[in-house]
Amino acid sequence: MNHLSQQQHMRWMKVRLFTNQLSKVIFMLSAFFGLFVLAVLLYRVVSEGIGSINFSFLTGKLSTQPERAGIMGAILGTLWLMLVVAPVTMFVGVGTAIYLEMYAKKGRLVSFIQTNISNLAGVPSIVYGILGLTVFVRTLNLGNVVLAGGLTMSLLILPIVIVASQEAIRSIPFHLSEASYGLGATKWQTIQRVILPSALPGILTGAILSLSRAIGETAPLVVIGIPALLIPFPGSIMDRFTVLPMQIYYWTLDASLVAEYANLAAATIIVLLVTLFILNSTAIIIRNKFGKVE
Amino acid sequence: MKFNKFLLFMIIATFAVVLAACRTDAGEENGSKKNNASAKVSADLKGSVVIDGSGTVYPLMARLAEEYMVNEQENVSVEVSRAGTSAGFKKFLVDNGTDFNDASRQIKDEEAAEADKLGIEVKELKVALDGLTFVINKDNDWATEMTPEQLISIFLADGTVEKWSDINPDWPNEKINAMGPNENHGTYEFFYEKILDKQDMKSTVNLQQEYSTLVNLVSEDKNGIAFFGFGYYVNNGDKLQAVAVDFGNGAVEPALDTIAEDGAYADFTRPVFTYLNVNHAKEKPQVKDFAIYVMNNINKFAGETGFAPIPENEAKENISFLEGLK
Repeated sequence: MNHLSQQQHMRWMKVRLFTNQLSKVIFMLSAFFGLFVLAVLLYRVVSEGIGSINFSFLTGKLSTQPERAGIMGAILGTLWLMLVVAPVTMFVGVGTAIYLEMYAKKGRLVSFIQTNISNLAGVPSIVYGILGLTVFVRTLNLGNVVLAGGLTMSLLILPIVIVASQEAIRSIPFHLSEASYGLGATKWQTIQRVILPSALPGILTGAILSLSRAIGETAPLVVIGIPALLIPFPGSIMDRFTVLPMQIYYWTLDASLVAEYANLAAATIIVLLVTLFILNSTAIIIRNKFGKVE
Repeated sequence: MKFNKFLLFMIIATFAVVLAACRTDAGEENGSKKNNASAKVSADLKGSVVIDGSGTVYPLMARLAEEYMVNEQENVSVEVSRAGTSAGFKKFLVDNGTDFNDASRQIKDEEAAEADKLGIEVKELKVALDGLTFVINKDNDWATEMTPEQLISIFLADGTVEKWSDINPDWPNEKINAMGPNENHGTYEFFYEKILDKQDMKSTVNLQQEYSTLVNLVSEDKNGIAFFGFGYYVNNGDKLQAVAVDFGNGAVEPALDTIAEDGAYADFTRPVFTYLNVNHAKEKPQVKDFAIYVMNNINKFAGETGFAPIPENEAKENISFLEGLK
């Protein structure tokens, strides 16, 4: 048996401890890299835009004069869009998840659907825009209205909602539904009274996170065609509309003509970030609050 | 799970309250889009006017649209987009297409043929004049005045001019960096067809999609020279200087009065247009009304958006044509 000399042992020890420290530093740096980029972005946006945020900017109508322009139209457009996207994705998304998890027999068909849902989740958003333009705007002849935009956005986030809902349903302990069946409940009664209530926090978290993605998307709407100047507020799902990210896009383009538009774009980014922050916080609160119940 | 339902209820209630609050503003214009057949000539018009097309013309038309909505017809919604001249024509030349298409060039023969095929009667309305402006760096103190021939030689592929000293032996022996907007722009088409007379352009000319890129490139390059519409020069006058062009009677700076129809800069001036779907103007009173408003007020707003006004008699001719539509 070879005994290691004390000296050699110490040397190896040092190398191991150094590697340990080094890996810690490397991983810490990569963790802080994202934070650093976020800080730079926030600093730039806030310093450029905070001066333009005031009551008349938030509640005013769109204008070609930067000092008079407001974003109420874009805020309402975003709300109207959500009013289409939220019910459609919740119904179709949760419905698909219930079918796949509760009704469908595991087999080729289910795994085919499953694979396609995963593939759809990876399709670039601009492709959904082209789909929306062809199907909703042109073929169904809806025009570039809230309904067409909302349905396109729903398609975009559906895969995420389906997968999140499936995870939520799958995570419910089997004995809960077994107990329900044991008491003589039908499948639908079990789904309605046992499965859905327990899965709701997970479903809601997924839905809210995907809604915040829909709020921030621009590419599909660029393809569908959102007017650069639209002053009246949308009043129904059949009205033309504009949304916050589109306004950021147009004002960034306008900045080459009139520099003040860069400030308006930055101010709109702040409003959008705050909206997303509120939505994502809600999702986290729901998850933390109800995750413990089980 | 009670709290859960309560939360859901709160979210839905918030949505409902916010939307109910804003309905009062926009509710009335709803549904009015369908009754365009009842042609009212009276003061209160409703419905929408949809405009797309050139990004060059956009600032002017957007300004007019806003003024029209604020001062004339607050229940009419005029929507202005800027897909570009050619992309705009694609949306204009379909059934139920846009009402107007802004254009920084004239309609092409194939586009006009497409309109005939679809039975769309098209009326060309000249809205303003735009001066092709050559810009150089602020530190360039030699090439501030040039003749049209010298400017053209910078961009031509015949290889005679590569350096400033090729134009004038007193100028620096340094390479000229020529730039301009790319083929997507009506400004490029005008420069290539009307100024270069379709002669080949140097392949080294740096063609860009965004005007803001050109502004930045020239403002950072002492040997840079670029061309674009006068409006982009006016708004960036602090970063660039314009070349005064000597058409034979002394050097002329591009300015609102010189790029006018018979101004001294007229050789480098091009008209910009909006094309009206006459069928729509006959069916929808708000389209006709807005068209007349545009022709009546165009010269008021041309200057502040960097365009020169059109001759009054041309505007008047168009107005009498429009008023005669039934």
